[in-house]
Amino acid sequence: MLKVFKYTLIDLARNRFVLGYALLMLLVAQGLFALEGDPTKALLSLVQVVMALVPLIALVFTVVYMYDTIEFTQLLAVQPMTRSAILGGQLLALATALLLAQAVGLGLPLLVHSPTMAALVLSLSGSVLVLVFAALGALIALKQREKARGVGVALAIWFLFVLVYDALLMWAMFTLSDYPIEPFVVPLAGINPIDLARIMVMLQVDLAAMMGYSGAIYKNFFGSVGGTVVAALILLLWIAIPVLLAFRVFKRKDL
Amino acid sequence: MRKGLILILACVTGGPLVAHSWTYRAGTSGTLQQVIGKATAGDTIIVDGTVSEGSIHVDRSLVLLGGTDAVIDGGGKNDALRITADDVTVKGFTIRGSRRSNLDDMAGIKVNECRGVVISDNFVDQCFFAIYLSGAKDALIEGNTVLGEPGDEDHMANGIHLWKCSNATIRNNRIEYHRDGIYFEFVTDSHIIGNTSLHNLRYGLHFMFSHRDAYEDNHFEDNGAGVAVMFSKEIAMRRNHFVANRGASAYGLLLKEINDGEIIGNTFQDNTTGIMIDGCNRINVHDNEFRLNGWALRLFANAIDCDFRGNTFAGNTFDVSTNGSLIPNTMNGNYWDRYAGYDLDRDGYGDVPHRPLGFFTLLVEMQPYAMVFSRSLFVSLLDRAERLIPSLTPESMKDDRPLMRPPASLKKGTDHVEEKQDAPAGKVTANEGSSGGVLWLLVGVAFLSSIRYLFPHG
Repeated sequence: MLKVFKYTLIDLARNRFVLGYALLMLLVAQGLFALEGDPTKALLSLVQVVMALVPLIALVFTVVYMYDTIEFTQLLAVQPMTRSAILGGQLLALATALLLAQAVGLGLPLLVHSPTMAALVLSLSGSVLVLVFAALGALIALKQREKARGVGVALAIWFLFVLVYDALLMWAMFTLSDYPIEPFVVPLAGINPIDLARIMVMLQVDLAAMMGYSGAIYKNFFGSVGGTVVAALILLLWIAIPVLLAFRVFKRKDL
Repeated sequence: MRKGLILILACVTGGPLVAHSWTYRAGTSGTLQQVIGKATAGDTIIVDGTVSEGSIHVDRSLVLLGGTDAVIDGGGKNDALRITADDVTVKGFTIRGSRRSNLDDMAGIKVNECRGVVISDNFVDQCFFAIYLSGAKDALIEGNTVLGEPGDEDHMANGIHLWKCSNATIRNNRIEYHRDGIYFEFVTDSHIIGNTSLHNLRYGLHFMFSHRDAYEDNHFEDNGAGVAVMFSKEIAMRRNHFVANRGASAYGLLLKEINDGEIIGNTFQDNTTGIMIDGCNRINVHDNEFRLNGWALRLFANAIDCDFRGNTFAGNTFDVSTNGSLIPNTMNGNYWDRYAGYDLDRDGYGDVPHRPLGFFTLLVEMQPYAMVFSRSLFVSLLDRAERLIPSLTPESMKDDRPLMRPPASLKKGTDHVEEKQDAPAGKVTANEGSSGGVLWLLVGVAFLSSIRYLFPHG
């Protein structure tokens, strides 16, 4: 597994996309901080960028990379090693490469321009989002044989999490506003990993507003130690379940 | 003959010429109350040590000076110190041990129906009411530190409490852990200057039915609400700091039924709501700074003829919210960090109006739970669409001449603003419009590059 990890990582290091991702994020973050003059404001803009862009890139890149290395995977599969070792090494390498790129592109500018608690939470949730969507991407790539179809599914999933889910949830909130929906809004908002990551960041940057009546139930839950643990668990599940499923699929797959 | 005349004159002009200075050391023979009884108007009594003989009553014009370790301990019986004569000065004491009673309003220092009292440089330690003035004229309360005891509202009272007073000056005091830091009821023509009011359960400063008062250069932090001004006329509020007043019903400044007030040059930071304006007429809100508040301004539709200009709105979750569609108020020449317009004629004012009331603000107003969508892509899309084609937000809620840069008058304000001013001119004008544009550009680029990556030979 370590060998697979090593060679995949070397291959990824040569990959222009990973480098491009790091540079793009660096450019965006640096640009926002330079443009805004006010670090708090720049951080707020960066939140939106991270919440939309990071899942998209992690998802699409993982899917495409899995397809592009299919021959290498086939080559590995005939070697005397378990399939878990192959996939484990590959996924680990992918996660490492993306996280490194993210650390350079996002973590570094945050550290330089605004070393605050909010920035820390933002880069942490960004990293978790990378892992979640890389895991989903791997699962999609293994499930779908066709590359174009796989990318299509990936884009659809991104669209679902970043936009459609919120739209549906908001529609439901307004439609059912006459009913006691309070017990449902917290768990429903917490299911979507992007929303969950955003809430964690929001509790830092919009703290003053979250202390108000409208944010109170979110603040009371996600702002508490127990809530943070639950949120971390949900995000962990969002990583673990696709990864486990991917292993299951890969083990049975006819390469 | 001449000598006799001088003697007579001396007697007639009275007090000051024959004023005594007494020194009372606690624990020696007699009590402080006896010394006060022996003194005549205009005398000075210097007190050393801890006086714990119960409630002290000052019934003539005396100057009470705290000497070394001067403490007046009421021993939990009634008021610690009660003043009922004109021109009394109490300076340099530690005062403690008043009785806790909601029925009798017991206080550390109570002043009843008199003129010209001076209370300065005292430390009032965990009294029920700390300094209580009722029916006092021309009072001066200066440089005191007032420390209450954290507890629940029923068992707490106000730090500096004025009832039916006029022409009072309250300057450079520090008040912590009381119910209201400073409370004014039926107090007119008075000034509150340079005080610090922290950690109070209810309000840092509270006005009821008080007219023609001014408060300036005060600091209000972490109170239930910073300042509440209710049912009062002609209150001037200048250069105060309202910081971190947070909670479901917490406001930096709560205005209820106020007429003809002015709010100028204040700073509102990290409050759940910066200013709440409910049922007010003719309030001028000029040159204030609103930073990082949940709601910078909640302007109810029953506010009429309020004028907002020269204010800076930066980093707030919501800049303005309201509860109706009728906005009989004016907004002009404010700086909004969300403004996405342009300034082609370079006169420093944006060429298209700014609508500070976002669509999302209305959504949250209608459905509080929608707060969870703050800063999501979906909401920023909706907000953008609503700004282009306003349908739900009130047409008249707009700033026709939004500033492109924060007003220069804020230069002497907080550190943040100074930093901002130091930045090159072009940088500061960047706003959400540009970052939103950047975001969409990036999403586009990411899409395109992923497609290119997908079909490299295509």
